[in-house]
Amino acid sequence: MSNIGLLIQRYAKQELRNSNAIFSLGLYLIGITYLIYLLGGSNASDNSWNTLLWVVVFFASIMQASRSFEFESGDYFYYYQSIAGPKETIVAKLIYNSLYMLFLSAIAWGLFSLFYGNEVYQPTVFALGLGLGCMGFSIILTLANGIAERSGRNATLSTILALPLTLPILKLVSTINRYAMVGAPFDETATIIGSLVTLDIAIGLLAYLLFPYLWQD
Amino acid sequence: MQQTVYKVIGVVLVLYSLIFGLLTSIPDLPIIEESIRNLFYHVSMWFAMVAMMAGSFAYSIAFLRKENLYTDRRTAALTETGMLFAFLGLFTGMIWARFTWGAWWTNDPKLNGSAITILIYLAYFILRNGIEDERKKARISAVYNIFAFVMMIVFIGILPRMTDSLHPGNGGNPGFNSYDLDNRLRLIFYPAVIGWILIGTWIASLRYRIKNLSIT
Repeated sequence: MSNIGLLIQRYAKQELRNSNAIFSLGLYLIGITYLIYLLGGSNASDNSWNTLLWVVVFFASIMQASRSFEFESGDYFYYYQSIAGPKETIVAKLIYNSLYMLFLSAIAWGLFSLFYGNEVYQPTVFALGLGLGCMGFSIILTLANGIAERSGRNATLSTILALPLTLPILKLVSTINRYAMVGAPFDETATIIGSLVTLDIAIGLLAYLLFPYLWQD
Repeated sequence: MQQTVYKVIGVVLVLYSLIFGLLTSIPDLPIIEESIRNLFYHVSMWFAMVAMMAGSFAYSIAFLRKENLYTDRRTAALTETGMLFAFLGLFTGMIWARFTWGAWWTNDPKLNGSAITILIYLAYFILRNGIEDERKKARISAVYNIFAFVMMIVFIGILPRMTDSLHPGNGGNPGFNSYDLDNRLRLIFYPAVIGWILIGTWIASLRYRIKNLSIT
């Protein structure tokens, strides 16, 4: 178990050392938000605001997760296998990617509020939806990237694999966030939040069980 | 002997549903009118597809347990057959939608679900085609297939029930009761489902044998 903490630390260090990657993600977020602003996003209705935010967050998570196993290719694969088993690796990856995505989506929300104003009526519910959505994305994208990495193909394959799989989550979270924006009664939102939590747990468990089969030679 | 029995039953049931589906008397419903007969041809495709995908899901789990390459070929064969039923279900559905809802395609949760299902399984074939090593291909695609099946069930089985749909029996009201699915329709519909599942099993077993023969 202590290995998981160490692995997460190691991933974070790697990311910080390779600061090029963080800056490119940040630049993407700022650039795309400003692009939407230029194209008239500030006049967007609540619904479009929500849709645009999710599109931005979605592509950020694809970009972020596409580098999940960047350092586990070739000989490094054996090196990592010698220090941690597949179960520890996947738990560490899932936690690390989820936290990273939470951070990115918070930035995206901040940028959107800055440029277009924050029109969210129930920020807590909105944040909850954003968090659960990011967790779901991270789980699916991490597994898809693991598959693409092990099959020796490039990042295109992981996007092809992950895109249709993430759509159920995207559909649920955008509904939660739309409810949060208009301030729907909580018991209506609660059913959807409940099913999203169940879905996140289910796919997390599935990723945990399936990953060891992937992570061997 | 067993091998022949299920094929004969399948053919008989499908022929029965095709012929008597057109001859049987139907409930007199507005808008849907005579097109309700498409129930026998359209809905049974989706039942057959889910049955094929469930089969391939089971074989994927079996593969991960025993790593037997024959099991992997069964998975691939069943998924291919499932895709055939998915496309047939989509086309019969589009024709039905044109004549009852007035458009070939509508933004309906079930339609989205079936489109996503097709995308998910097309990605499965792309994944399979890309890997050279047989064993690696089998293992990686089994992992993806298990994940894909669970997400498909969420998308076509759970999500549509939570939102409003043009399809009957949705919007928090699952099941067929609101379908006015009376006994006359049931008498044809259930044999059609069973018949198509049996035919699907037959097609899949043929695909499986071809796959085994083409390994040199």
